Amino acid sequence: MPFVSQTSLQSDYTLFSSNCPIVIDNGGSNFRIGWAGETDPRIIFRNIVQRPRHKATGETVTIVGDHDPALMKYFDCTRSSPRSAFDSNVVYQFEIMEYILDYGFERMGADGSQVDHPVLITECVCNPVQSRSKMAELLFETYGVPSVAFGVDAAFSYKYNQQLGICDKDGLVVCPGFTTTHVIPFVDGEPVYKACCRTNIGGFHVSDYLKQLLSLKYPHHMSRITWEKVEDLKMEHCYIAPDYASEAQSFQKGGKEAEDKTRCWQLPWVPPPVEGLPSEEEIARKAAIKERQGQRLREMAEAKRSSRINELENELQGLEFLLQQLGNVEEKDIASFLAETGYVSKQEIESSRAKVMQSLRKAKGEPKGEQAETEEKVDPSAAEKYPLINIPDNMLTPEQLKEKKKQLFLKTTSEGRQRAKQKRFEEELERERQNQQDEEKRLENPELYLEQLRAKYRELSEKVEQRKRHKTNGNHTNGNHNLSGGVGRGERLNAAQKERMRLLTTAAFDRGKGEDTFGARDEDWQLYKLMSRDNDDDEEGPDAYEAELARISSRLQDIDPNFVSKPELVPFQPVVEVPSFRPLSKEDFQIVFGVERFRCPEILFHPNLVGVDQVGVDEMAGVSIRRLPSRSQGLDERMTNSILLSGGSCLFPGIRERLEAGIRMIRPCGSPIRVVRASDPVLDAWRGAAVYAASLQFPGQTFSKTDYYEKGEDWLRRYTLRYTL
Amino acid sequence: MEPEVIEAEMVLPTYLSFKKVQMHEKYPKGQARGRHWKHLKQIIQAENYQNYPPDEPNYVNIESPPSMNPCKKICDITGFEAPYSDPRTNLRYANTEVFKHIRLIPNESVQRYLGLRNAQVVLK
Repeated sequence: MPFVSQTSLQSDYTLFSSNCPIVIDNGGSNFRIGWAGETDPRIIFRNIVQRPRHKATGETVTIVGDHDPALMKYFDCTRSSPRSAFDSNVVYQFEIMEYILDYGFERMGADGSQVDHPVLITECVCNPVQSRSKMAELLFETYGVPSVAFGVDAAFSYKYNQQLGICDKDGLVVCPGFTTTHVIPFVDGEPVYKACCRTNIGGFHVSDYLKQLLSLKYPHHMSRITWEKVEDLKMEHCYIAPDYASEAQSFQKGGKEAEDKTRCWQLPWVPPPVEGLPSEEEIARKAAIKERQGQRLREMAEAKRSSRINELENELQGLEFLLQQLGNVEEKDIASFLAETGYVSKQEIESSRAKVMQSLRKAKGEPKGEQAETEEKVDPSAAEKYPLINIPDNMLTPEQLKEKKKQLFLKTTSEGRQRAKQKRFEEELERERQNQQDEEKRLENPELYLEQLRAKYRELSEKVEQRKRHKTNGNHTNGNHNLSGGVGRGERLNAAQKERMRLLTTAAFDRGKGEDTFGARDEDWQLYKLMSRDNDDDEEGPDAYEAELARISSRLQDIDPNFVSKPELVPFQPVVEVPSFRPLSKEDFQIVFGVERFRCPEILFHPNLVGVDQVGVDEMAGVSIRRLPSRSQGLDERMTNSILLSGGSCLFPGIRERLEAGIRMIRPCGSPIRVVRASDPVLDAWRGAAVYAASLQFPGQTFSKTDYYEKGEDWLRRYTLRYTL
Repeated sequence: MEPEVIEAEMVLPTYLSFKKVQMHEKYPKGQARGRHWKHLKQIIQAENYQNYPPDEPNYVNIESPPSMNPCKKICDITGFEAPYSDPRTNLRYANTEVFKHIRLIPNESVQRYLGLRNAQVVLK
């Protein structure tokens, strides 16, 4: 991580005399505090506050700055997000500002009853007086600061670099910060606020743009793409393209150069355990389990059967015993005897005995069919089974007539059965014959035969499908409709059912429309016939096509190893794409960003890309020069000859070259252009302020509490530092 | 408090000797305070910049003007140069593959992409 906060408690607070100023760089992203005259700030932390609840004690605590994420587990942060005191680059929430100052002074080791040191604190260019006065008030009232001075961070940075000899006394400072970018011209070492300009784009927007782009590109890893991580990625990988269009084109074309520039962030990923084929042992074990289960089931069935047989035998014995008893009983006592047993007559007992015997036979596994078979075999020979049939009616008694009718019925049914059997047999023969023919054909020319068979199969399956579609869709000829969205009620009915529905509804709603003439004509009554359910022509017998299709497909299955019965055979179910479960691989846990590397910082030059309708950094320099009140060619040239880049967002590689090229485009040909980066773009503002505060003339630039209250707001509004001392 | 939390000194003490007014005195607990701060917009409005001479620099008039150069059109998805724009989603796109992609993504994502350049549909 490029930035580490620095918050160790300082112990030498008491060693500084009370007129040694405390210098604070109150930046949008970081808060830096230290002593005037020193080279580095003592304390640096992120300018944020969060107020989570401590889990163990339940009290709300205040945490300022960034801390070890591992320690944040002791706090319930669900109801508190990190908050900043800034809106754009202006401090507006002074409660949060107070926490931050508390922490800053506390870390500096402040003790005693007040902070007894002058304070130099930075603010933005042209800070609204409301914010400035609130800040002064806070410092005076709460901390008891004797005197306060406000300065601009970019100006301090320029002055510091001027002292280092990096830039001249006339020049421009270009300061892309956290929330805004400023360009401030310097004439004779003093900033000209009249000519400065501000674009509301900064490092925050770059990070946010990158975060949004990455989370839109990888919605699955959204939770991994945290603000802190994205900030790190930005600082590590983003750069400014020398020319956006050509750089993007090289990525669009691909190739080695683009590949080298593409970065990949591998998220933690554990390869799933490789699942091999089940081993022999496993298979054997599974088979054994299955076998055991089957055995148990068989045993259960056996036990049930034997118990039933037992039961039936007992019952049979009981019935036989009953019959025996009945034989012994006197004729007159039969009625009373039967009443006891619960049977009405001897016949009933006998019939139930027969029934029990039959079920016993069944239970014991003697095939019932055998009996039927034997009966049928006996059938033809026993023509004399129906002796009454050939005898004319007039020769018979009424009883015999009845018997004859019965015999006639039996005979026709048995004959019918016989005929059906015969037919089946013949069909079997026919099929056999056809198969044999096919076989012969096949042997003659196997390939041709297979081809023919396939063609026939296709044709038939098409036909069958069409028929089915037609049946369901009625008049709709385009079957696809049904496949894609078969949802409505009508879609589920076939044509005949639909027609019936239509008839029923028209009949139901026909009432009351003029005179009811229904029934006047005979045809009207046909309606009921149509309406009745029996009319469904579903039962039009097994489809000849379908039978043929089944035959061919079975034949194909036999001889063609590649044959797969087409799924279209069940055309009613839309073909559902089975989502193929691809095991997640390493690549699925990679966040790749190539174009984003230069696309995000590009917004500094083209704020239009994120919808901010303002000029970018390069044009800002031109705007600033144009805004200068007293211009001459010499001044313009001096300006462009000393352009200082400062601020956190100028750390992107390539920004210096790009800015130089951009400014060259808007300046007249041949004008001298020199763009330099500050010695330390991040800390120079604080260092400049520390040097400034250490100078002997500094106390003259501050104001005290009495000044503040006596001179009034209008004075505070116009208050500015003189940077050249 | 856990020892490592105390060790890290991450929690701001509630009492600080150098403060004249402690936090809990200024903002007593359990008292509902409404919003006691103004947003930047309200601050700017309260400044009444229109009452001051226009050549005096202030927070509003130092803002940069809109760019004179034509707006660069880049593909919302890939960042390449975008010669086309989709009339249905209003997204700019670079080529047919991106077009297929933008027709596949849900409207929510489309709006987020548009939101990146402040062009999303805003319901008022």
